Amino acid sequence: MLFSSIPFLYYFLPCVLLLYALAPKKLKNFVLMLTSLVFYGWGEPKYVLLMAATIGIGYVSGLIIEKFVDTKPKLAKTALLITVLIDLGFLGYFKYANFFVENFVALTGFDIKLLNIALPIGISFYTFQILSYSVDVYRKDVPAQKNPINLAAYITMFPQLIAGPIVRYADIAEQLVNRTHSFEKTALGIRRFIVGLSKKVLLANILGEVCDAFKASDDKSVLFFWLYAVCYMLHVYFDFSGYSDMAIGLGSMFGFRFMENFNYPYISASVTEFWRRWHISLGTWFRDYVYIPLGGNRCSKARHCFNIFVVWMLTGFWHGADWPFIVWGIYFAILLMIEKFFLLKHLKKLKVLNHIYVLLFVLFSFVIFNAADMDEAVQYLGGLFGIGGYSFVSDSFFWYLREFAVVIVVGLVGATPFVKNACLKLHEKEKTAKVLNVLEPIVLVALLALVTAYLVDGSYNPFLYFRF
Amino acid sequence: MKTSLKNKIICILLAVVLFGLSGFAILRPKGEYSASERRLLAQLPPVSVKTLLSGTFMSEFEEYTLDQFPLRENWRTLKALANKYFYNKSENNGIYELNGYFADGQYPLDEESMAYAVKVFNSVYDRYFAEGEYNVYFSLIPDKNYFMQEAADQLCIDYDRYKEIVKTELSRFDYIEIFDTLQLDSYYKTDTHWRQEKIQPTATRILSAMNAENAVLQSYEIKELDVPFYGVYYGQAALPVASETIFYADADRFANVKVYDHENRKEIAVYDFAKADGKDPYEFFLSGPLSLVTIENPNAKTERELFLFRDSFGSSIAPYFIDQYAKVTLIDIRYLASSMVGNFVKFTEGSDVLFLYSTMILNASNALK
Repeated sequence: MLFSSIPFLYYFLPCVLLLYALAPKKLKNFVLMLTSLVFYGWGEPKYVLLMAATIGIGYVSGLIIEKFVDTKPKLAKTALLITVLIDLGFLGYFKYANFFVENFVALTGFDIKLLNIALPIGISFYTFQILSYSVDVYRKDVPAQKNPINLAAYITMFPQLIAGPIVRYADIAEQLVNRTHSFEKTALGIRRFIVGLSKKVLLANILGEVCDAFKASDDKSVLFFWLYAVCYMLHVYFDFSGYSDMAIGLGSMFGFRFMENFNYPYISASVTEFWRRWHISLGTWFRDYVYIPLGGNRCSKARHCFNIFVVWMLTGFWHGADWPFIVWGIYFAILLMIEKFFLLKHLKKLKVLNHIYVLLFVLFSFVIFNAADMDEAVQYLGGLFGIGGYSFVSDSFFWYLREFAVVIVVGLVGATPFVKNACLKLHEKEKTAKVLNVLEPIVLVALLALVTAYLVDGSYNPFLYFRF
Repeated sequence: MKTSLKNKIICILLAVVLFGLSGFAILRPKGEYSASERRLLAQLPPVSVKTLLSGTFMSEFEEYTLDQFPLRENWRTLKALANKYFYNKSENNGIYELNGYFADGQYPLDEESMAYAVKVFNSVYDRYFAEGEYNVYFSLIPDKNYFMQEAADQLCIDYDRYKEIVKTELSRFDYIEIFDTLQLDSYYKTDTHWRQEKIQPTATRILSAMNAENAVLQSYEIKELDVPFYGVYYGQAALPVASETIFYADADRFANVKVYDHENRKEIAVYDFAKADGKDPYEFFLSGPLSLVTIENPNAKTERELFLFRDSFGSSIAPYFIDQYAKVTLIDIRYLASSMVGNFVKFTEGSDVLFLYSTMILNASNALK
């Protein structure tokens, strides 16, 4: 079930909110867990058991690790290792087995059938959450959770289950037991949720139409490639950050405070900064659980480079089991190494060129990211520079530019903190703050109405005979 | 307004909207039919362990919630208005407007689809008309885009390419040019089809090209059908648009004409008033989409026969051919496989054979069998 769907908004969410509000404090986590399982089972009924197994293993290993980490450290380490292997084994099997078999067949020519395994929704997110829990217990950063309902509520919590942010157990362990609910928190959550929903439905989805149309078009031109790349860059930002906003908003409605996942990444002055602002929860996860354990930067230059390479290759691979994702990750590894050892100090002296540099290289990265395969990635990157015999402009470019000009401009402005800063500025003055306070509920309801209209229209399905 | 009050108002407003619409959606009587889409609406699917485990319940439930959402048409209109006035988009659901006329962009010309259509038509020719004396014609009906796209700043389909393909690939057919006999007001504003009362020059051109004697059409009384007509684009555009009126060319002499629906094995009329009140009033013309219809006119000017391979545009132009031919056979190979036509139709040598197809059909030709 998607957040941006009628069944979620007008059937699931009201039911959950009602049950949650009516439940006594002791049962609130149970309600969250139960409704989250329904949410997950709605899309993946057969994989509920897989998730339950992952939680069960994590719960038991957490208890074992905590009990023996001081007295029998080897046993605790073994328990951690087994948990990590099982969790990564599930992830590897369901997400990467097809990829490895496919590439093995391509390399060797052996006649092996593809496994064609369906990817369980959210497995990348919940696997990383349970891993962080087990590691944190081993590191004694957090005590093991004794109540299986609380641990299950943490792992399954539907707001962040399928698209993140990757919420660390350490960050919400206390909130699982002690959290407060208030109009302020709920209103904050509603605001955040509706803003995220609007980003997804009113911006990302519409920008996605340009990307789909470009891919299907036989009328590609150099400028159309650039238009596609800009639209995809905005699309992926509003799509992903929209989901994160919705997750954070829903969390707030249930009394939780999740970490921020995006912080206007496109205003970054370096790629290093970009990755501090883009998918923050993933970046910090890899930093804390892969990069630092590998030695981080407190080692030789060669080892440091190796660490960066491994982390970013894995980051790319985490996004998807295909070569464009791996190349995308390695591309950032190279850029980050260049910045770290040479470019960063020069970038800091620049004022505009550094932003253009970041935007350009991030744009190229997303062209690779969204390619169906490496051939397409090379073709599209070449297309941006006129390689491949494309004309400079085409009718389709002009048409799509004109047709989507408003949404692109709204997207460009929305990708900067301009609106946020303007609102903060207006809130500083009493009179304008009052006006904003009156306008805010109206704008939120209007946005929800517009989102509903776009979602309902998505169901329009005329009987095609009548077109002729 | 204080921030704390604002927060309470936000919570209450959201609760009202969410729970209000949710309650309304659950409690309201369910619709069965969507007039704008001309289809049945999804109903609450049955729950069983099997449908739950397979996920079919979930996907059908989603369809149900969308189809049965309260004020569905109003929401769709709101989206269309937002597209038009906020996003400044010229089209909604692929439908654009020019001076009150709506059309589906159809861009670009699908060469593969054209190739398939040409293959089907050539196979019909080879099967039935390669041996023997037949006068085989092909005429292409431009869809509304031909008259609208450039003026509406839309991506333009290359209509010359349509003609080039037809003339080159269907070289055994005599091509009849009719584009210049039509203009935008020859079509309904909210529908794909042409207006029967406006296509007399087109019918004359076709009849002249087929050497029909006295190709000048006889006189008809143009009558108004007392049914508000909302074409297929009305529903797709979702904008508030007035209904249109269907006019039809009638003549007393049509009373002597025998029209037979071979699909349902019954006699029908040139104009089907029962269908005018149905889901698509355009089916008023020769009862709409039927695979095989014959029209026999004992008072025709000639004894000649016409075999008309056609799509739905053929239903409204065929009445103009009645006076010229003793028998007109309308064949729709979307509903009757072309290989089977010979089982039901006896092609008489010396007859005229006309393939009359809209460019829309050629651009989405998978319906042709």
